Amino acid sequence: MPHVMISRKKCTACHMCELACSLYHEGAFRPSVARLRSECNPTTTDIKGFTCLQTACAKCQEACPNGAITTRAVPLKLDGAFDSAARFEGLAEGQALIVDEEKCTNCGDCYDACPYGVIHEHPERKVAFKCDLCDGTPQCIVFCQNPHVLAVDLKIDKADVRPVPAE
Amino acid sequence: MAVGAASNPEGGRVDFYTGNVLRIDMTAQSVAVEPLNMDWAALYVGGKGLLFRYMWEYVPVGVDPWSPENPLFLMTGPFAGTNLSTTSRLVVGAKSPVTGILNDSYVGGSFAPEMKFAGYDAIIIVGKAAKPTVVTIRNEVVEFVPAESTYWGMKTSEIEQAMRDDFDPEAKTLSIGPAGETLNPWACLSTDQYHKAGRGGHGALMGSKNIKAIAVRGTGSVTVGDPRAFLADMERVHREFVLTDDNLWAHEEGTPILVDLVNGAGAMPTRNWSEGYFEGAKNLNSESFQKIRVKKRACYQCAIGCRNVHAATWHGVKVMGEGPEYETIALGGPNCGIDDIDALMKFNEECDQWGLDTISSGTVIGLAMDMTEKGLHDFGVRFGEGETYVQLPGLIARREGVGAELALGVRKLCEKYGAPELSMEVKNLEMPGYDPRGAFGMSISYATSDRGGCHMRTYSVADEILSGAVPAATMEGKVEGAISNRPPDFISQNFSSIKFCGIWCDFWAVNPTQVSQMLTHLYHRALSDDEIMLIGERVWNLGRLFNLREGVEADTLPTKLYSEESAHTSGPSAGQAIGEATWTESLRRYYELRGWDADGVPTEAKLHELGVDVRL
Repeated sequence: MPHVMISRKKCTACHMCELACSLYHEGAFRPSVARLRSECNPTTTDIKGFTCLQTACAKCQEACPNGAITTRAVPLKLDGAFDSAARFEGLAEGQALIVDEEKCTNCGDCYDACPYGVIHEHPERKVAFKCDLCDGTPQCIVFCQNPHVLAVDLKIDKADVRPVPAE
Repeated sequence: MAVGAASNPEGGRVDFYTGNVLRIDMTAQSVAVEPLNMDWAALYVGGKGLLFRYMWEYVPVGVDPWSPENPLFLMTGPFAGTNLSTTSRLVVGAKSPVTGILNDSYVGGSFAPEMKFAGYDAIIIVGKAAKPTVVTIRNEVVEFVPAESTYWGMKTSEIEQAMRDDFDPEAKTLSIGPAGETLNPWACLSTDQYHKAGRGGHGALMGSKNIKAIAVRGTGSVTVGDPRAFLADMERVHREFVLTDDNLWAHEEGTPILVDLVNGAGAMPTRNWSEGYFEGAKNLNSESFQKIRVKKRACYQCAIGCRNVHAATWHGVKVMGEGPEYETIALGGPNCGIDDIDALMKFNEECDQWGLDTISSGTVIGLAMDMTEKGLHDFGVRFGEGETYVQLPGLIARREGVGAELALGVRKLCEKYGAPELSMEVKNLEMPGYDPRGAFGMSISYATSDRGGCHMRTYSVADEILSGAVPAATMEGKVEGAISNRPPDFISQNFSSIKFCGIWCDFWAVNPTQVSQMLTHLYHRALSDDEIMLIGERVWNLGRLFNLREGVEADTLPTKLYSEESAHTSGPSAGQAIGEATWTESLRRYYELRGWDADGVPTEAKLHELGVDVRL
C-alpha cells in the first residue's frame, strides 16, 4: 500500500515537508510536531528520512492495547497543480493508520514499538499523533516542489495503481 | 550555572512574529524578555529595518565597539519559520569593531527559524562574561554554561557537534571558531557548519563577550493567519515565482557560474587587484566545480537548494564541504594567484573551521603575497604558492608566526609597511570579487554601501555582466540604478533594503510586486510598488543616520579603481577607467539624488517624506 517516503539521496534537508505537514495539521508552522522527519548532520551533510509506512509496517497498530489505531482507506488525490501528479498514471488508494483520540490512553506502547520514531505523544493533547496522508493530498509531497529534487514521494506498488473510475 | 526562565508578561503574539525580544546580559548572567515593538515592526518590517531601529535605540551613542556595552543583535524576519522559500535568513548586527559603523551580516541555515520556534524574534546581547561561556536556549529556559575547559578552542564543526551531543540533538548553533577567540578583525559567526555571517567581525565581537556559542532549540510555532489559505498561496508562489528557470540556475550551477562571466568581463580581482583577468580561472569555473560536486543542500525552508557540496583531496586527505561560493573563489583563487581547485577547497575548509571570513582572508593573503613579491616585506608567501597559502588561515586565527602580523588586517598592514595604495578596502571592510574597472557600477556600490566594501546592497553586475543589458564601461545611469530600481533588473540599495527586511535571499530574484504579495499576508492590504520601495528607502536612510551618529568615514574608493592612470593594461577591461572627474561627479550626484546635503546628511524634508521616526 502507498506510503510517504523520503529519498535520502535526493533530499536537500530544506524541511519544507515538515513545515507544510505541521501547518496542515496544527494550524501553525511547528516542525517539532510534524508527522515526518528529515534529519541532516550539517557537517557531514548525511540525510535520513523518517516516515510512516502505514499498513506495510503497522507495528503501532499491533502494539496498541486499546484498538485505538484503525485502518482507514484514503483515496489519493494527486491531481493538483504539482509535479507529483505526473508520476501517477491513475489514482491509488492509500491505507492510513489513524489514531482514534477517544480510545487512545497515551500509554506509550506504540511510541516504543514504532521502528521509525514517527508516532509520538502530542505535547498539548496528550494523545498519540501520526501521519494520516492529509485526506489524500500529502502536503509533504506537494511542497517538495523543486523539479530537480522531488525527494518526498509516495512509495507505491504497481499492483496498487488502478485506473481512475470514469464518472 | 545560572538559569534564567524567560517570560514576557505583557507579550502577545501576532501572526508571523513571536512578539518577544530576548535580552541577555553576559556580565550579570541574567535574561529578560520584552515585547517586540510592533510600532517599529510596522515601520521597518523585520530583518534589516527592524535591526537598524533596535540598534538606533540600544547602541549607546558613540560607544567603543570593543566595550561590553556594545550589543550584539540577532534579528529574524517575519517569514522565518514559515514555508516561504529563502526567508530563513538571520541577520546579525552590531556597531562593527572593525569599521566603527553599522554592520548587518546575513546568514542562512536553520538558526533563525529555530529562534522563532523557541519564541523570539530578536536576541540582544550585552556585557561580557567573566569566563568563556556557551549560552543555551530551550524555549523559555536560558542557561549559561561554562566553556573554558570544554568548548573554548574548538573549531566550528566541533562546537556544533558538542552542542548536539551535550545540549540537544536538534540544537542549532551560532558559534565562533578560534579566530573569534583571538579577536581576529574578520572572525565570522558560523551556523550549520558552512553558513557564515561573514563580514564585519561579529565573531570578534562575540569573542570579546566571552561567548563561544549560542545554541537554540525551539518546539513552539509560527502562526500565519488562515493556514489552509497560506498553504495554497505558498504552493502558487513557489510554482509561479520561486521554482522558475530564472532562479533554478542557483540549484543547477550555483555561484561558480559567475567565474567565467566576471573573468570574461575583466572584472576578476587578480593578484591583489593588480589585474582584472586571471588566466587560470578555467580551473575554478562552474564546469570544474561540477566535476567534484557530490550533493545539493538547502537552507531551512528553501525549495531552491543552492548549496553545493564538493569533495576534493589535499595531501591524500579528503576535503569535503559546502561551497566555496563565488566570492571565496574570487578572493581565495585569482586574487591569490591560485588556480588549484584542491588548494582552494582546502583554503575554504580552513577558513570555515577556524571561523574566518573568506573575502577578507583572501584579500589579506593576496596583499601579503603582493608585498612579498614587491619586496616591501617578506611574508614567506608568493602568488600561486598553494602549500603556504592553505596554512595561513590557521596561523592568522591563532596569531602564530606570520599570522600574528597578518591578523592586523589589510589597512593596518598597508599603513605599517608604507603602502596605503595597496589597501583594497572601503571603510576598512575588504571588497568582494568584482573589480569596478570591469563593471563601473560597482564603484558606487562599494563607496556608498552602508557597511563598507560590499556587493550586496546594489549589484550592478547583474545588468553589466550577467545579462549584459547595460554597458559595463560607463557611469551613465549607474548612480540612479544604485539608489532605486529601474529596468531591466538593477538590484538597488532601496530595494535590497526592503528585501533584507524580509529576509529574502538574493537567489530568489524577487521583485517589488512579489514582495508586495508576500507582505499582504502581514499587512492584510496590497502595497503598491512605490510603497515597497519607500520602506526600503526609509531603512536605508535610518542606516545612514546611525552611521553619521557614530562617525562614518568619507564615501570613497581606493584610488586605483577609478583613476585613469591605473586602468588595467591587459585583459578584457584594458584601458577602461571611470576617471577622477566622473567619479567625483558621480558621488555628488548620488547625494543629490538621495536628498542628502553635500556632506551626505539626509535632509529634514527627505526624512519626513520617508517617515523615518528618529533624528540626529
